[in-house]
Amino acid sequence: MSNPYQPIPARILNVIDETPNIKTFVLQPEREIPFLAGQFVELTIPGFGEAPFTPSSSQFQRETLEMTIMRVGRATGALFTKKPGDLLGIRGPYGKPYPLKQFEGRDIYIVGGGVGLAPLRALFLALTHEIKKYGRIFLRYGARTPRDIVYKKQLNEWEKIKGVDIDLSVDSADEPWERKVGVVTCLMDEIPCDVKKSVAVVCGPPIMMKFVTRKLLEAGFPGSSIYLSMEMNMSCGLGQCGHCRLGPYFTCKDGPVLTWEQIKDIEEPFL
Amino acid sequence: METYFLPNPRRGAWLARLAGQFNLFYPAEIEKRIHWQRYNSGEFQLEGVALKRIRAAEPIKGFLFAPRERVASFPQPLAPESVNVAPGPGVRTLLFGVKGCDLPGLAVHERMFLSGEFKDPFYAQRLKNTVLVASDCPIPEQTCFCNLLGLKPYVTEGVDLSVSVLDEGWLVEVLTERGKGLIEEARDGFQKAGEELIAKREGQRQRAMQLLKEQNPREWNPELAQAIAIKSRDLDFWQKAAGDCVECFGCLLTCPTCFCYLLYDQGNAERFERTRVWDFCYLPMYARVGGGANPRPRFIQRFINRFQCKFMHSKNQNGFYACSGCGRCFTTCMGKIDIRNILGQL
Repeated sequence: MSNPYQPIPARILNVIDETPNIKTFVLQPEREIPFLAGQFVELTIPGFGEAPFTPSSSQFQRETLEMTIMRVGRATGALFTKKPGDLLGIRGPYGKPYPLKQFEGRDIYIVGGGVGLAPLRALFLALTHEIKKYGRIFLRYGARTPRDIVYKKQLNEWEKIKGVDIDLSVDSADEPWERKVGVVTCLMDEIPCDVKKSVAVVCGPPIMMKFVTRKLLEAGFPGSSIYLSMEMNMSCGLGQCGHCRLGPYFTCKDGPVLTWEQIKDIEEPFL
Repeated sequence: METYFLPNPRRGAWLARLAGQFNLFYPAEIEKRIHWQRYNSGEFQLEGVALKRIRAAEPIKGFLFAPRERVASFPQPLAPESVNVAPGPGVRTLLFGVKGCDLPGLAVHERMFLSGEFKDPFYAQRLKNTVLVASDCPIPEQTCFCNLLGLKPYVTEGVDLSVSVLDEGWLVEVLTERGKGLIEEARDGFQKAGEELIAKREGQRQRAMQLLKEQNPREWNPELAQAIAIKSRDLDFWQKAAGDCVECFGCLLTCPTCFCYLLYDQGNAERFERTRVWDFCYLPMYARVGGGANPRPRFIQRFINRFQCKFMHSKNQNGFYACSGCGRCFTTCMGKIDIRNILGQL
């Protein structure tokens, strides 16, 4: 029986500054981590501990793993001191992936906020890898300011992909900005797809997810077609330790992506 | 399977034989309470084996799901086989005097640690190397309520042997092949149990059932899981129920079914060890996420969560309540919060 608590070593190949407090770490694990978009891993910062992160790279590219991470606390603070060549640990993948089979033939309406674009990038790359399988792909992304936008260059490239429609907003623009100013829901006044047949995928800060979900429901998306990243304190990743309980679910095992239909009866599901 | 009779003069020899094969633990009365005691041939006295009393103060979960243990190391990985119950790998443990209310905890832990996609090799190894010998509770105490959970004050499955204490000696029922082996090795001491002794045991068991029924006459709502779901938002009810709770989480520490744990690392960037310790959902920081958000910042939310976990989610997902009626939670409670009163109101 293998030891599920044992991380495998992963070397940092590159660290990319995305914004003043968000970096993308490019890792090379000693063994392949066969993750699918939506699944997460437990990343060990040796000497500090573990924290859960969702890879932001493509599931079709497995020799390396990218994780885009915002500095928020003790573990990420320690991680931000790490440099290329340093060793980390990794366990996983854990949780359920996006059900891409169910997405086939349907338009996909993706809404991201801040660093929440990181897991959505893994989804976006998986979708565009086999774009013919899906309908149109809409990406609506909001950040606090233009400086807080992650994957700036890639967003420009993605806009050129046929079948992809991207719109961006910032809460406030303190530098020249040609797109919309306002929270991300300001991009959702018109939803250019057949909501009854499409799927919506949301990831971002809890308050953003709450209002985006409300907007999606008002627009007519069925609750079972709204996929939300419900990332709680996913401490063990194995569905055992209890910390990530959300109503009847352990988000590390049953999620972290859950549909609105699954969580709608939980009192205050968004933190 | 068969039931044997071990006359009083032969009991000590059998225990000594078992202690030669296993790390043997038995219930002993220490300052009026029952505690698990390790068999030590130099000090052991047969009169100290308190089989007729109720369950020990400590749940048996600690024998299988260690309160603290090393589970990983880095960069050199830790092999689970190298970690085992003290004093070393391959040593087997025998718990002599497990009670019926000790078993639901095992069912919960097997569900958590061994039934999912990821299996805990430490738990699996300990379980495999642990022999369980049960004993009846002929005289349930005021804190016992296993009957409300559909359990009995004696064990007829889920252990290797089941012992009933009679005036003449012990009746030992064989429940597994492994248990049979333990009797066969010491065959000369055992006799086939006669009907008269078995009838005596049944009478003793029925009296215990009757006592439980008398002290816990009112059954709970058969739709308890549903009742908790409905009541979950009634904060006044739960505030009243939480009453004098001082948040010591003694109830969780002694609960045989609690399974939460925390992983933490100690070391430096070059080398570290990962340890698993029991954790408790009453702690304010328990569910807090990186960045500081907390889904249950108020104690009353954590109090309700405990009831939802044990009586709603476990029932809905596993088909049984994560409670054994052992009464440890309120025996321990400084605020004297009796879970029976709370659940009885639902």
